Amino acid sequence: MDFGAFIQNLLNGLAIGSVYAIFALGYTLVFSILGIINFAQGAVFTLGAYFTYTLVVGQFGGTGLLAGLTLFSGTSPFSGNPWSFGLATLIGAVLAGVVAVIVERLAFRPMRSRGADPLLALVSSLGVSLVIVNLIQLLVGAEIYTFPADAYGQVRPALSFQIGDRTVVIRTVQIIIFAVSLVMLLILGYVIGRTKVGKALRAVAENPGTASLLGISVDRFVLITFFLSGFLGGLAGTLVGTAFGVAGPYFGITYGLKGLAVIVLGGLGSIPGAVLGGLVIGLAEAFVPADYSAYKDAVAFALLFVILLVRPQGLLGKAAIQKV
Amino acid sequence: MKRVVLGSLIGAALGAASAQKVETPIAIGIAVAQTSNVALFGQEQVAGAKLAEKLINARGGIGGTPIRLVYQDAGGDENGAINAFQNLITKERVVGIVGPTLSQQAFAADPIAERAKIPVLGPSNTAKGIPQIGNYIARVSAPVTVIAPAALKQALKIDPKIKRVAVMYAQNDAFSVSETGIFQDTIKAQGLTVATVQKSQTTDTDFTTQVTAVLNAKVDLVVISALAADGGNIIKQLRQLGYKGLIVGGNGFNTTNLFAVCQKDCDGLLVAQAYSPLQSSATNQVFVKEYRALYKKDPPQFAAQAYAGVQVFADALRVIDRKKKLAQWDLGDLRTELNKQILAGKYNTPLGELRFDKEGEVNQKEFFVAQVKMKDAKNGSFVFVK
Repeated sequence: MDFGAFIQNLLNGLAIGSVYAIFALGYTLVFSILGIINFAQGAVFTLGAYFTYTLVVGQFGGTGLLAGLTLFSGTSPFSGNPWSFGLATLIGAVLAGVVAVIVERLAFRPMRSRGADPLLALVSSLGVSLVIVNLIQLLVGAEIYTFPADAYGQVRPALSFQIGDRTVVIRTVQIIIFAVSLVMLLILGYVIGRTKVGKALRAVAENPGTASLLGISVDRFVLITFFLSGFLGGLAGTLVGTAFGVAGPYFGITYGLKGLAVIVLGGLGSIPGAVLGGLVIGLAEAFVPADYSAYKDAVAFALLFVILLVRPQGLLGKAAIQKV
Repeated sequence: MKRVVLGSLIGAALGAASAQKVETPIAIGIAVAQTSNVALFGQEQVAGAKLAEKLINARGGIGGTPIRLVYQDAGGDENGAINAFQNLITKERVVGIVGPTLSQQAFAADPIAERAKIPVLGPSNTAKGIPQIGNYIARVSAPVTVIAPAALKQALKIDPKIKRVAVMYAQNDAFSVSETGIFQDTIKAQGLTVATVQKSQTTDTDFTTQVTAVLNAKVDLVVISALAADGGNIIKQLRQLGYKGLIVGGNGFNTTNLFAVCQKDCDGLLVAQAYSPLQSSATNQVFVKEYRALYKKDPPQFAAQAYAGVQVFADALRVIDRKKKLAQWDLGDLRTELNKQILAGKYNTPLGELRFDKEGEVNQKEFFVAQVKMKDAKNGSFVFVK
């Protein structure tokens, strides 16, 4: 592989890997607090994309029950320039966060309050996920929704530069995805590492009982965790939707599975691990030889399998200490 | 022993219909994809079938007996199609089925109808070998062997300098696999070079790896066999990453829903079609007028084919009804007679005149090649090219 091709694959991999990272961070946050996997994260990812799309386009299309309903009289105020599109993305992610909070109230808290086996919460979240997916289908139909080409203003679809005799081309949306993901990761890193909320979250993750004795409302911080998780999932959904279109209600399922691979690969509960896992899988997929690229989904899980054989706790996870 | 009992029960359930009288209105099953990523096609098929039901009943149905379409969502996979077929056969007791949407689904679900002796008309199953599934299986969708080469020849007419061709296809879809084989044979037969073959999955969204390989191969033409969702995304990424040459799309691109996916980047795409709103027969012009009045747009191929499927059933039933009123038939006997009549008849449909050979393969006279012209980011049309 020449250097130009290497750079091209690197850029492709970083763009998609950064989305995997922020999506997987949502899983990781919930896992680190509650020790369970929230399977509804894929559905929340899908919802984030739909929320933003609806705000940007201003009306419901397709064949669902909401078809024909319009949100604004005239053109949507959320379309046409980067700022208004960014605001729609932010609102979409916030709404996805709110849905995640509702999921916590419906699928997780009742189980937690009864001291149920974490496995039951996992199944319950799977159920909520299916309900959400079917609701989406009922309300907005199964069609693909593609963001208008000028949704964030007149942007060049692709940028190119020369490396030797090779032209390296990258889609503008890939750069946007990478930049937004990077900013989000930095903000999240700051919130978790430096703020009071972050400290409280870490305390709850470390030991909910002790945190509670210290006056931290565990339930409140669980809700904050779910909100952050949904926010990140919804944001990832919008970013992917912007790049490829919102491919129907089942849009988030593949990403949901891949997010799972990312957090296991990075180390369950490890925030830097989720980021590293996302980037590793994104890059591994990008570097799959083109002739075999149809099998790139298998690469994520094959990689996971191999790494778990060598390092069962994942790349940055801590090995479980057996107390005897 | 258990197997024998289970087999007898299934057989009894499927065969039970043979002892029942035909219910009116006459139930015809529509088992197409209303959900999944194939819903893009299925929803057009539902639109076409609904219009057929409306027009047939407005004209007095079958000798005064109305028809009733029974819809079952076949989804986008084999299981969905099998469930839909089983429901239509055992619960709804339909006289025949229009469906499923994908060839891949047809290979799984059609044998069920064959065993139950229920006529099936594939509305969009263009892969090789569909009518050969059984005696009760026919299709109104012309096979890919006939349609695919037409678009390729048109591309060479537009740009005779084409030498190197990239082939892209969805390897998890039986139709796309079948179609790409025909395309690749035609490319070689035209003396062109297949410079690269790139595979993907219908569920993929990111095709940058494949597109990068196509760009590296420095080709003059890209030929894609995929469904509208993934295919549209491939076109978008090809254009955005700098491919400027011609693109030929397969039958999966025969839907106006494609326009929402690749938007302005759809412009110039060549697609061979089994249907054109411009086809001049009186039947088609009535269909186009009614479709426009109902759905405010031109009918796409999938809608026309589903309409034709329902129409073929209705026309064949009309002939049978003249011999003996449909309500007097045993359901099983009617299904067998209907199958015979479908193969014997000649039908003036929006697709033009259709006949079937003894295997159930459609014999269609006219085909078209269209080029996509986008008016703006959302709206476009398939413009017929000679």
